[in-house]
Amino acid sequence: MSTAELVSPERWQATVAEALQSGGRFAGGWATADGGWHVAISAGAETRVLVCRAPERRVDSIVEIVGAAVWDEREAHDLYGLEFDGHQPMRALVAHPQELDAWVTPVRGGGVHQVAVGPIHAGVIESGHFRFHCVGDRILAMDPRLFYKHRGLERAAEGLEPEVALAHAARACAACAVANTVAYAHAVEEARGLWPSPELRRQRTVLLELERVYNHLNDIGAVCAGVGYATGSMEFSALKDRAQELCREAFGHRFLFGTVAIGRGDAILDQSQAELLRRRLRELRAETAAAWRELEFAASMQIRLEGVGILGHDRALALGAVGPAARAAGVAIDARAGNPRLACAGLEPASIPNATGDVAARVRIRVVELDTTWDLLDELLAAPLEAATTTSRGASSEIGTGHVESPRGETVCAVEISGGRIARMHLRSASYASWPALADATAGNLLPDFPLINKSFELCYACVDR
Amino acid sequence: MFVLLRQLRSIRRAAQLERGSDGRWLGIRHVDAGSCNGCEHELGLITNPLHDIQRFGIDVVASPRHADILLITGPITTRMAEPLRIAYEAMPTPRIVAALGNCALGCNVLGDPGEMIGSVEQVLPVDIRIPGCPPTPEEIASHLLEALGARSGPPSAGGQGTSAHRDRAEASAATGSSD
Repeated sequence: MSTAELVSPERWQATVAEALQSGGRFAGGWATADGGWHVAISAGAETRVLVCRAPERRVDSIVEIVGAAVWDEREAHDLYGLEFDGHQPMRALVAHPQELDAWVTPVRGGGVHQVAVGPIHAGVIESGHFRFHCVGDRILAMDPRLFYKHRGLERAAEGLEPEVALAHAARACAACAVANTVAYAHAVEEARGLWPSPELRRQRTVLLELERVYNHLNDIGAVCAGVGYATGSMEFSALKDRAQELCREAFGHRFLFGTVAIGRGDAILDQSQAELLRRRLRELRAETAAAWRELEFAASMQIRLEGVGILGHDRALALGAVGPAARAAGVAIDARAGNPRLACAGLEPASIPNATGDVAARVRIRVVELDTTWDLLDELLAAPLEAATTTSRGASSEIGTGHVESPRGETVCAVEISGGRIARMHLRSASYASWPALADATAGNLLPDFPLINKSFELCYACVDR
Repeated sequence: MFVLLRQLRSIRRAAQLERGSDGRWLGIRHVDAGSCNGCEHELGLITNPLHDIQRFGIDVVASPRHADILLITGPITTRMAEPLRIAYEAMPTPRIVAALGNCALGCNVLGDPGEMIGSVEQVLPVDIRIPGCPPTPEEIASHLLEALGARSGPPSAGGQGTSAHRDRAEASAATGSSD
């Protein structure tokens, strides 16, 4: 349930601080064209949306209270012209000014040089720019400059009927298409006072977990590629490819496009189809386990992962990292746990014995999570998936939020609906939440290890740029 | 490692791709000009053991300087237009431009028009069109193999797009002009 509360500019910082102290988690901030500034704080299944109508578009910054809000304020500054008192310096994020000083962390001292990488990279990789400050091969700091792929999807969704605007949430990112659209559907359904039937919860959970399967397989393979371990990279690329083929065979699309709708679910499987998918997943699981065993005992690979790109527990918390990156650092968060709109509410966040927050831990946590996902899918596919609907429950409101655990962590979608149309749609993907943590984990490492560190997070650019 | 190698050998050549020509080579430079990352995911799979496109003499190269094909994904955002132009200029001639995916072809593009330049065709001369949202690895591989066949083999009946390119490329090579 989301509730909007108007907060006076004088009480803004104090109200946010109180909401966080009473157990809430920052779940994103977004501006609106009229100069409104919204901050979502979630606690369990409840989300408070604090709204400040900033006089003359000025509002007190909350970055000293919640470090995770840095990018949100920078984005609101660049796209909506909001000024945040106390956010100093306000560096460009979405805007791409020519002057380096306008967006790069100043680094001074003897022997410091900059290395600029991107936006075009040497492999098949999304576009984005990285500015490294180095002494020799040692990275002192790294500033990512993303938003090369900013398509204005949120703006384009405004004024559309929610059913039509769904495509904009889907287009943000192919690899997170299910997570993004389920988060969007949850948000719209919450605003309309709709509650998903048990069948719909099960259907969407199957789709989300299938998305997690092929992404986690991809991400383990990506780390192999990051250290030049070709056999592992090729094997996991083939496993990922086959997982996507299972998606296509079952639901008609390798990225499960078109499987999520608002208020209903048409991703159906009869008994034999469900049983076939279940059996094929079991085969894939066995092969994945065999392949992982090989990687686990490939000392030449494992030794390259330890102690590299450390994101510690405290930094992960302070920067608001989510998903495998946070759990690999011992932060026990998972948006699936206790989410009543999905069929996995009893799930506990995955944990590993030695949550060191390095590349090795980020690989291991994915392996552990895959096991949970295989189990969950096996259980959910024991019965056919039937056409599903929602029921009315509670009053409708102008605002709704959806929280979904994508393969990369908690993705939050917020919608404001006015006159039956989207007044504002905001998608804060897991990648958006974790990019600042990736930049932080890079500092102190060797420049040639950056691709490996980057791949161990494997965050999307498209999800962030929108 | 040996188990992995054995497993890799068993899954080789699963895809039913027509054989290309021996002794020829096509280097691909990919530029993501605003994609949703779907085309990238699929393109990244054409080199895996299920498709193994390298066996036909096609591979992804690290620099446009070494590339024959500029493979472009996405609807070309305003911010990627300049990096894309620089990559194109850096290529040796003759050069082939491929638009990968519906967005690059200008089909069903979503977003704020003010943030986008338009389809690849509005910026560069397009020789190869690979439709799909996203096209599968097999579809991508098939289009690239067709381009490879048309590039140095006898003129084929079907490949009008690529043979048109060849004529143009030969003409520009003959006159020494740049595309």
